[in-house]
Amino acid sequence: MRKYFFILGLAFLLIADLANADFSSLTLPRIVYEGGNDNARPEALRSLLAQMARRTSVEVNREPIALKLSDPNLFKYPFIYLGGDKAFDPFPESELKILRKYLSYGGFLFIDDNSAELDSGFDQSVRKLVAKLFPQMPLKDIPRDHSVFRSFYLLNTVSGRAIIKSHLEGVSLKGRTVLIYSANDQAGAWSRNKLGDWNYDIMAGGYRQRQLSIRLGVNIILYALTLDYKKDMVHLPIILERLRRYQSP
Amino acid sequence: MNGLEKISGFDPNDYDQWQVNWAPEDPWLIAISLGLMIPIALWFFWTSLRKVVSKPQKVFLFLLRVAAFSLLLIILLRPELEFKKSHSLKNHIAVLLDNSKSLSIKTFPKEVPRIDLVRKTLDSNKKYFDQLKKDFQIDTYFVSDGVQKVSSGLKDYRAHRPYTDYRRVLEELNKIYENKSLQGVFLFSDGADLSQESGEISPDILESLAKISGPVHTLQAGSNDQFRDLALESVSAPDLGFVQQPVRLSLTVFSSALGNRNVPLVLKEGDRILVSKIIEIREDQKKYKVDMQFTPRKIGKRIYTLNLPRFAEESILTNNQKEFEVDVARDRIRILHLNGRPSWDSRYLREVLANNPRVDLLSFFILRNLGDDVVAPTSELSLIPFPSNLLFDDYLSSFDLIIFQNFKYEPFIDKKYLLNIRKYVEKGGAFLMVGGELSFHGGSYSRTPIEDILPVSFKDVATSFIDKEFRPKISGDYSNHPILRLEKELNEEVWNALPPLQGANFGLIANKDAYVLLKNESESPILVAGEFGEGRTALLATDSSWSWGFGKAGGRYFHRFWNNVIDWLIAEPETRRLQLESDKERYWEEEQVLIKFKLLKENYQPAINIIGKLTLSSRSGKVITKELKTDELGGQVFPFIPEQAGFYEAVIEIEGLQEKIMFSVLKDNAEFEKPLVNDFVLKKIAQVSGGQYRVLDGANDLSVLQFENPEIKVKSHSRPFSLWKNWWAYGLVVGFLFMDWWLRRKAGLS
Repeated sequence: MRKYFFILGLAFLLIADLANADFSSLTLPRIVYEGGNDNARPEALRSLLAQMARRTSVEVNREPIALKLSDPNLFKYPFIYLGGDKAFDPFPESELKILRKYLSYGGFLFIDDNSAELDSGFDQSVRKLVAKLFPQMPLKDIPRDHSVFRSFYLLNTVSGRAIIKSHLEGVSLKGRTVLIYSANDQAGAWSRNKLGDWNYDIMAGGYRQRQLSIRLGVNIILYALTLDYKKDMVHLPIILERLRRYQSP
Repeated sequence: MNGLEKISGFDPNDYDQWQVNWAPEDPWLIAISLGLMIPIALWFFWTSLRKVVSKPQKVFLFLLRVAAFSLLLIILLRPELEFKKSHSLKNHIAVLLDNSKSLSIKTFPKEVPRIDLVRKTLDSNKKYFDQLKKDFQIDTYFVSDGVQKVSSGLKDYRAHRPYTDYRRVLEELNKIYENKSLQGVFLFSDGADLSQESGEISPDILESLAKISGPVHTLQAGSNDQFRDLALESVSAPDLGFVQQPVRLSLTVFSSALGNRNVPLVLKEGDRILVSKIIEIREDQKKYKVDMQFTPRKIGKRIYTLNLPRFAEESILTNNQKEFEVDVARDRIRILHLNGRPSWDSRYLREVLANNPRVDLLSFFILRNLGDDVVAPTSELSLIPFPSNLLFDDYLSSFDLIIFQNFKYEPFIDKKYLLNIRKYVEKGGAFLMVGGELSFHGGSYSRTPIEDILPVSFKDVATSFIDKEFRPKISGDYSNHPILRLEKELNEEVWNALPPLQGANFGLIANKDAYVLLKNESESPILVAGEFGEGRTALLATDSSWSWGFGKAGGRYFHRFWNNVIDWLIAEPETRRLQLESDKERYWEEEQVLIKFKLLKENYQPAINIIGKLTLSSRSGKVITKELKTDELGGQVFPFIPEQAGFYEAVIEIEGLQEKIMFSVLKDNAEFEKPLVNDFVLKKIAQVSGGQYRVLDGANDLSVLQFENPEIKVKSHSRPFSLWKNWWAYGLVVGFLFMDWWLRRKAGLS
């Protein structure tokens, strides 16, 4: 009987949590696609959201959701996550069109290869996807002075569960990076179970590498939420100096 | 002549001249043609006479033929004898009297105005001019920026024209005397032609002088000896300036015979001193280049005044002050955007602001709260402390708009700074609060200066923010309000087609004078605008407007909506309910000024038949007040002609609103800015034209100045007498030819 009360209590908390979920709060939908494995790290996004809530002022809806690109609710979520560890079927043209529109209108896509392998099937599928999505805008290495490396933490490495590539790749439209791709299984490093234990070991690394991966996850989300705000900060002394001049007669 | 009288039928003694005129246009062509043909014909004739034995007979026959041909030639040339009666004409002398403003300047030490020196000289040389009038036609002109014939004596001679232009004067003079004999010119002037550089004379003047056949005697009125003056000679200021941006002035101060002293140069706007500078005046230096800089604080046409002190001993006092106008515009909209936490709402609004090329954006996101555990040392964070004292104390007035978006001021801003924000809005600043859980009640703004400035009051409620979907609706007839104008046509349809919003702040009661533009289904205010002091404030009681910027709408209306909000908050001219303007920025004296105003109701529809008070005032204190009623378009126009030059202010007061504009009526006082006598130009004119240069002291003897007086004869009447259209001319030809024929027959020739 006590067990039922416990389950009921959990269910009540969950409902209450969902009821409090603010429309403008951060939700991380996982994209469901055909073929492959779109949910290779089932607890990763919840874990990352928990880290966001712990570390930053961002209000989050902790329970991640899963969406198809054709879902009419897609445009309620400006940040989407696409992960997997296997090759997946090419997206139909209708979904490509939706995704292209989604990113052009202000949405953000984070792609994460959970296979921890170089040139994995997932990696090849992603490259085909991006090539179809933006034929004129191929994936490019993201430079280290990009705002994603300073949106909250100051980072100079690209971590992950496995260091497959030392850089992130991305696509930018009109000065805004709309898609970031990591080959290092970030979700594997973020993922922990409800008891607080890490689900996956870090390959050839330890606590620091996992922490850097979480920091990168936080930074990616904050980049999506604040864009190049941190580049404003670089200019702050200049702006303040300009304001100082305005004050002088 | 008596024989001629009988032939011609009139008395040639009645005429004093005669001359022969040849009728054909080109008599020489006929003469040359016939002159070549006749000798050939005569040669043939001579050879035909070889059968004539008697030489005298032969010669006589040949002479007869020559005489006949000669007469024929004369008849072809149609000669005419013209008897003429002529009379003599007088040569012209032009007296040019400079009547530009600079002639009113005093000459030292007797402090006689330059124009009086001219008058005295003309009086003291009256006999000389009377004598000249016997031999010459004396024409007197007032000259300055043109030439005006003096027809009614010198009673109208006064120094009033705006400037002197010798080039134009001499050009017009040459036109007047194009077919007349101008034997000389008197030029009474101070030489102050501002278009002539110091120590130079323009080629145009030299060219015009070359066309005048006689000398130009230049008579200099006034001198630069002991000339005492302190003047703002030239001021170079931009017509357009930007608010909060330095405006640079460069000017030249002129000083003469004022000794060594330090004088203050002061720049004022109204009675407020903006900048002052000390100029060290030295005896041996006349011109001082000065650079100044000031920062306009308000937009619109602003009038600034530069002042130098006035000393009693100066020749001119009017040139110690100069006014100029700068149209102060907003170059950039400086916005301070504070975000209580990163969210989609703040991200999309930031994108609108950052992408607006007119906006200078300074935004801050509160990325972590005090209770957050960042799991990293500060050195590994990119966070910076929030510079609240700099923003809300030192630089607050530099911003055009402050936005609090889902921002709770504690613990980031000291409560005392909220009072600064209230003062800032009261003085014309703009404030916007965008909703969310941390806004309004959630931000603890109840009973703070922020509640005072917002167009709502806070009511205690159990839940101040409810995350529920709703569709906002335009309240009342505000669809024409500039904030809500997303499309010119079908605006309400556009609003109805926008995606619904989700999540709204509750417990807000709109103030009586607030404009509630949007409400939700339960009539709670969602978008409210209002005025506080001289500033404007607004609030949007939701944090979900980002859904208009993302998705099917594509963000077009989202961008337009927020840009409308910004334009209204910073009171861009097109968002004002009362608009006042003049048809031009600058007018010349005696030019009609049109003052136009337009009044819109709170819903921005024309306000019809409303009476307002228009007050026009000049710096001299002259005030015109007029009551005007708006027409069916909510506007009205008031024409008036300013009586004098200067800066005018027009104020319209209607329905508790007030608008103010300034405009200037110009008078050309340029000659007072460069008041020195230009002796170089006068000397050069005299030298080039062969005239003489004199400096007037009021008693100069001008009789030494002489002019050539060649005789000019002009035909008064004439009488022609034809030398070919007569019976005797043709009779002689026939007679010669008949005698020639008869003698040839007698000599046995055919």
